[in-house]
Amino acid sequence: MSAILEIVHVTRRFAGLVAVNDVSFALNEGEILGVIGPNGAGKTTLVGLISGTLPPSSGDIVFKGRSVTSLPAFRRARLGIGRTFQIMRPFPGLSVLDNVAVGALFGYGRGTSDLEEARQKARRNLEFVGLSRFADHLADELGGPGRKRLELAKALAMEPKLLLCDEVMAGLNHVEIDEVIGIIRKVRDLGITILVIEHVIKAIKSLSDRLLVIHHGEKIADGIPDAVLSDKTVVEAYLGKRQA
Amino acid sequence: MDLLAQVFVNGILLGGLYAIMALGLALVWGVLNIVNLAHGAFIMLGAYLSWYLFKYLGIDPFLGLPITAIVMFGAGYAVQRGMLNLIVRAPMFNTLLVTFGLEVVLTYLAQLAFSADFRTINPSYAGSNIAIGPVVVPIVRLAAFGVAIVLAVIMWLFLLRTRLGRAIRATAQNLVAARLYGVEPRHLYATTFGIGIGLAGVAGGLYGTVSQINPYIGATLTAKCFAIAIIGGLENPLGVIVGGLVLGIIESLAILYIGATFGDVASFGVLVLVLIVRPSGLLGRTA
Amino acid sequence: MNSAIRIAIALLAVVVLAALPWFGSDVIVQFGISTLLLAVLAQGWNIIGGYTGYPSFGNSTFFGLGAYGVAVAMVQWNMPFWVGMVFGAAMAVCFAILLGLPVLRLKGHYFAIATLALAQVVAAIVSNIPLFGQNIGLVLPPLNNDAMFYELSLALLLMATLTVWWLTRSRFGFGLIAIRENEEGAAVMGVNTTLYKVMAFALSGLFSSLAGGIQAYWITFLDPASAFDISLNVKMIIMAVFGGPGTVLGPIVGAVVLSAVSEVLSSEVTNAAGLFFGIVVVAAVVLMPRGLADIVHHFRKSGWRYFVQNIRAHRI
Ligand SMILES: Nc1ncnc2c1ncn2[C@@H]1O[C@H](COP(=O)(O)OP(=O)(O)O)[C@@H](O)[C@H]1O
Ligand SMILES: [Mg+2]
Repeated sequence: MSAILEIVHVTRRFAGLVAVNDVSFALNEGEILGVIGPNGAGKTTLVGLISGTLPPSSGDIVFKGRSVTSLPAFRRARLGIGRTFQIMRPFPGLSVLDNVAVGALFGYGRGTSDLEEARQKARRNLEFVGLSRFADHLADELGGPGRKRLELAKALAMEPKLLLCDEVMAGLNHVEIDEVIGIIRKVRDLGITILVIEHVIKAIKSLSDRLLVIHHGEKIADGIPDAVLSDKTVVEAYLGKRQA
Repeated sequence: MDLLAQVFVNGILLGGLYAIMALGLALVWGVLNIVNLAHGAFIMLGAYLSWYLFKYLGIDPFLGLPITAIVMFGAGYAVQRGMLNLIVRAPMFNTLLVTFGLEVVLTYLAQLAFSADFRTINPSYAGSNIAIGPVVVPIVRLAAFGVAIVLAVIMWLFLLRTRLGRAIRATAQNLVAARLYGVEPRHLYATTFGIGIGLAGVAGGLYGTVSQINPYIGATLTAKCFAIAIIGGLENPLGVIVGGLVLGIIESLAILYIGATFGDVASFGVLVLVLIVRPSGLLGRTA
Repeated sequence: MNSAIRIAIALLAVVVLAALPWFGSDVIVQFGISTLLLAVLAQGWNIIGGYTGYPSFGNSTFFGLGAYGVAVAMVQWNMPFWVGMVFGAAMAVCFAILLGLPVLRLKGHYFAIATLALAQVVAAIVSNIPLFGQNIGLVLPPLNNDAMFYELSLALLLMATLTVWWLTRSRFGFGLIAIRENEEGAAVMGVNTTLYKVMAFALSGLFSSLAGGIQAYWITFLDPASAFDISLNVKMIIMAVFGGPGTVLGPIVGAVVLSAVSEVLSSEVTNAAGLFFGIVVVAAVVLMPRGLADIVHHFRKSGWRYFVQNIRAHRI
């Protein structure tokens, strides 16, 4: 297996605060990598650095063997990096269908320029995440769980090679979580590499091939889920705090 | 060299007046997120009010300022409570348009009530100067400058030290924060806008002592207030003072060295540059 | 079927409008020209303000540059009208690209104010350039052919409207709407936001400048104060927002309704026309914040309660 994404000594500072501190890891093609860490650990910042919405303070980001560190977000999207937002931001005034169609019109390799074709594709993506019923609603009218799925459908319509999911299960109930886990597995079966950020330990444990733990912006563990979750530092830093 | 010193003094004195003009606009913009295109029109109304008090009741323009401030505060309170509160949560454009409509209405009413003639508030000491070395300082301008600085400092203390001031500042961060301070948001909004308009009224009274007034001065003054607010940032009244001084000096220098028609170009040019280099204002927080 | 009927109605409307000079009075035709030009301005603004979500107060600058393009070409260089149109449009597009790059990085109120200030700077600079006639202005060769000006303005409006209609069904237009709705979200989906914004600004400038060119030749006199009049910019925004920003026909409806209102007012209540105009604007924004286009959709459902609902939704 070859690495599709390499993070090399990446640091990001915000006025006096180091949100991501000298983090390095690689993501193999076809893999599902789980990233966990307490609130404020720097997970969302990491997604921003990979997708290009935030420039790193130092370090290098290599995607498919090519440094993308200095590329703007839209170029990275065209190379095949798709992301969802933890704070869900659909295009509120567009229909659910057209929200997804934007992904098909742009996205990987610039997508299609034909609006009808893009909408067809968007319909398939809505079906994939189970939102078909809401195709003609305004995105603004969806509730929380619906928006999580919409985020996924929008990113999938871009036909990404790498999908970054920022807490797509937060705030969902058990049934909904199981459904989203099913969707993510199906995405992987399409050959898409996935980075999932999650708070729900149980969910991420069963889903991930490998688990990365971030604490105060630093990587404190990286390995197969069972080993990582029984690691002493991790238990102290993260699980210990949660149980306390 | 004497000329340059004189220009600097003129610029600083003008700048103090500019600062007090922009203070209310910056407050309303920063706290309520309303860009008030009618701000200049309220300055104009304040100027006329001061003029009437002086002309018909013989009240000295500086002593009349508290009356102007109170009347204009009431007007501002009523406008926010009765009209702007209805659209606070509408898209930004709608507030721009409503305040623009308000500007049109106020200018029209002013023209009807006051006629288009130029007026000046001319107290007996209007022509007196003090000389400091080679530099001549007109008394009225100096007094206007002094009032402006004192008011800005009072505003600063008010926002920092009083409960109402803290509630207003908290509202700038978060629409419903007022409730935490036990203030009804509608009342707080109206009060904030009232203070902004009260300041505009005082600025108008001062403006009338150093410049001619007519019903149409509003639009240009609004534009200048924008420039100042942006140079100074929206967070701090003292920043607005610096913005006013910067603009006053730049304008005076541009008029001296490039030509009279370039006074405004210089100020707007600076405004654009500042925006491009530092969108949150020269003194504002970095994003 | 449905769309066939729509196209037929649109064609019929265009034919009737185009025939107006043959049966309308001089006054009507003149009203028509100024309304059509205002509609072009509103439609041009619609591209950058309505679809892209960037509230430009600088479109009157494009108008002024277009007007000066025609005036300079015809008066100073003795060139034909169309050369002036091309010259003016080229100036406007260059201006949009050069200044759009830095200014379009600003958002919301800041963008609005930066464009407003730029408009002032350009006006002041132009009024000091000898080629542009400085403050005295330029007098163009008169052409007494209102029918021609009318048809030209109509053709321009048609072009602008077809462009906007194309926006609603093209990748470019979807990119602009995505930028308006959520710029960061658009960028991570692959929209080249900088390029798209600059292109929208340039397109908006193109139509505004062509309207300016026609206006200059029609009025035959041009000075900086009238060419770069900021209140013109406010007018086009009001028309677009009144009719419905981000819709194909809204700005046209807004331009026609508001032109007619102010025409009637200035003949009926000569003095108070400005006052009533201000009141109409305030009332319209408070009662129907999403423009006339939105009323058409919702009034049937909720009737008069529509206005109350609007106020409820936006007040504190
Ligand atoms: N735009 C920003 N400006 C300043 N600080 C930020 C910004 N974004 C995130 N931070 C800070 O960086 C840290 C990491 O945040 P984040 O990546 O959102 O954490 P997580 O997603 O793991 O909860 C937090 O302390 C947060 O306050
Ligand atoms: Mg997060």
